[in-house]
Amino acid sequence: MTDRAIETEELTKQYGEVTALDSLDLDVPTGELYGFLGPNGAGKSTTINILTGQLTPDSGTAEVAGVDPVAEPVRARERVGILPENGKPPYFLTVREYFDFVAEARGLDSVDDRVDRWADRLAFESKLDTLCTDLSQGERQKTLITQAFLHEPEVVFIDEPLTNLDPIIQERAKQFFTTYAEAGNTVFLSTHFIATAQEMCTRVGIVNRGKLLEELDPRDLGEETLLDRFFATVDTDTAAVDPADPAALAGEE
Amino acid sequence: MVSVRYLFDQLLREEWRMHARLFGGWRFAAFPVFLAALAAGTATFFALAGSETETLLAGLHVVVALVGLQVGSIGLVGRDALGDLLGDVTLLVFSARTLPVSERRLLAVFVVKDVLYYALLFIAPLVVGVAPLVVLTDLSVAVLPRLLASAWLAFAFGVGTSLLLVGLATRSRLLAALVGVAALAGGSLRPGLVVAFTPFGLYADPSYFRLAVSVTVPLLAAVVGFSLFEFDRTGTTRTAGNQFRRLTGLFGARDEQGLLAKSLLDVARSSGSLWKVLLSQGLIFGVVAILLGYIPDILVGVRPSPGLTLGSVLALGAFTTYNWLCQYDDAAFFGTYPIDLARVFEAKLWAFFLLAVPAGGFYLALGTVVFGPTSLLVGATVYVPVAVYVFGVTAYVAGLRPTELLFDTPVFMLFSGAVMAVLLPLVVLAIAYPLAPTRISVAAVGLSLVAGLLGVVGYRRAGPKWTRRARAGDL
Repeated sequence: MTDRAIETEELTKQYGEVTALDSLDLDVPTGELYGFLGPNGAGKSTTINILTGQLTPDSGTAEVAGVDPVAEPVRARERVGILPENGKPPYFLTVREYFDFVAEARGLDSVDDRVDRWADRLAFESKLDTLCTDLSQGERQKTLITQAFLHEPEVVFIDEPLTNLDPIIQERAKQFFTTYAEAGNTVFLSTHFIATAQEMCTRVGIVNRGKLLEELDPRDLGEETLLDRFFATVDTDTAAVDPADPAALAGEE
Repeated sequence: MVSVRYLFDQLLREEWRMHARLFGGWRFAAFPVFLAALAAGTATFFALAGSETETLLAGLHVVVALVGLQVGSIGLVGRDALGDLLGDVTLLVFSARTLPVSERRLLAVFVVKDVLYYALLFIAPLVVGVAPLVVLTDLSVAVLPRLLASAWLAFAFGVGTSLLLVGLATRSRLLAALVGVAALAGGSLRPGLVVAFTPFGLYADPSYFRLAVSVTVPLLAAVVGFSLFEFDRTGTTRTAGNQFRRLTGLFGARDEQGLLAKSLLDVARSSGSLWKVLLSQGLIFGVVAILLGYIPDILVGVRPSPGLTLGSVLALGAFTTYNWLCQYDDAAFFGTYPIDLARVFEAKLWAFFLLAVPAGGFYLALGTVVFGPTSLLVGATVYVPVAVYVFGVTAYVAGLRPTELLFDTPVFMLFSGAVMAVLLPLVVLAIAYPLAPTRISVAAVGLSLVAGLLGVVGYRRAGPKWTRRARAGDL
């Protein structure tokens, strides 16, 4: 295991005229629960997709768990877990079969014990033999969280992990993410839930227009909240609305 | 309540925008032009080869009826989609769950829209494409409007029949299969029924009575199909034993990442199950059997080889099997695991073999019962390599989204050009077969083996090509 879980240098990605990433430099040490915050279109998903070998950058370098995801995408994905935003488990496999599929895809021997532990942790024991297409949104999210951690990866990318989960399961999931990072693994959390990031993360990076604007430890904020800092850092013209402005929230001029 | 007219307008707008956006704006508008050119080229080829005009126009009716059968199969996929089994609501037709519109009404308007949309963009260009026959044969210009009307109605007949069968299948698959077999058997044993009860009769033997029958039969079939259609809104949760583990255990090292097992379960557990593979090949067999058996001396006074014709056309029809196999996949899903897309295409090829070869083999065996065993050995030998060719071309050209990408004019041109390059010579060889059976058999097998090798090349290049495009963010 290396000291640096994630490192990028001058990472740049353009989609036509749009600059999704603009010379992004990241340095996330092992064992950190790193929060990646930014408004819609800030470049969060593009970053995760490049770091997991799903997308090729235009320029710059990246290393994740000691592997270059640009040069060796499949090997990089062996080392990491991925919970994509709006992911969908395969419609016509049962939940148990899906986990077997993940085990086969990742070359694991048997995951029955791990599946049982996760089913207990996130309370979906009764759904293990249900076709994924018949799951509720919350049950799908539980399934997707489980598959991301099934092989106990040293680095895991989780994009909006708490979506559609009830408050009890949210708390259990948060507790697990924290414990998982404390055990020496790295959790890269992309989220719009700023309060959650403040509560859980050991460090937070605020990104907008593909640039890393600021990194901070939420525990150093004192009286200031992470939400205040977020709005102070991000150019509000590019944020969806200013929450302090009820007229803007209502969509009025 | 939202009006039917409003729904129709919105669905039509959505269809055009979807195609125009997916396929480069007005580039999609070139699609009908290409179809007309393709039809014109095919008609010219056969006319110069000495084909009977009437036979060619009968073939045109068969082709548009087959397109209709395909369009009507929205009922099959639609059942999953309307029941929200496929997740995200991406099209208006799938939004009955969130709109105050009944599923039956929404599906009915959707199908009417599809019939008109495809009639204008697909069927009309095919009819325009036979215009060279006016110059090359004795076809009169005055017949063309009637031909257009009967072709449109033949298309509607295909849609109506498809809806009827799918509607019946939601009640009883056995009954649907029996009706389908009975219709094919009726058409085979009494060809006069085809003229009497299908829109081809309007072209072959025009009268007001034929017009009334041609309009009424598709309409009646569609209405009955809709009435019988049972939407899966029971809210029942489907469970299953661990078939995935059984299959991976069975396949062993051949399926190290479980991709083959997943592909097979996707087909087996979606609407229509594995039967849809047999049914789609069965439709092709039925149509070819009718053409071969009951239209004597189709071309230049020679009866084509049934085996070679069946083997080639069934192999082309195996495209639908590839389509079923990819229906529920996308590259982004595999991109979250240490899975090389090349392995995905490899698994699709094995799944394709497991589904398409037995289905094709079954109908080729049935062909020996109908036509005798003489040339069917050649057909069986040709079938597998040509099917591999179709697989390789489709995988390379369209990746995991065969239906969607084949509406892209340049992609469709590439696909149809590649398929025609092998299919046309095989058809010519099938026609010439009686002249020198042994030499032509050797030539056909040789050609198909070369095609099969090219298919393997296409399939092997598909993985790197689609990986590159996915990683460039170009999917």
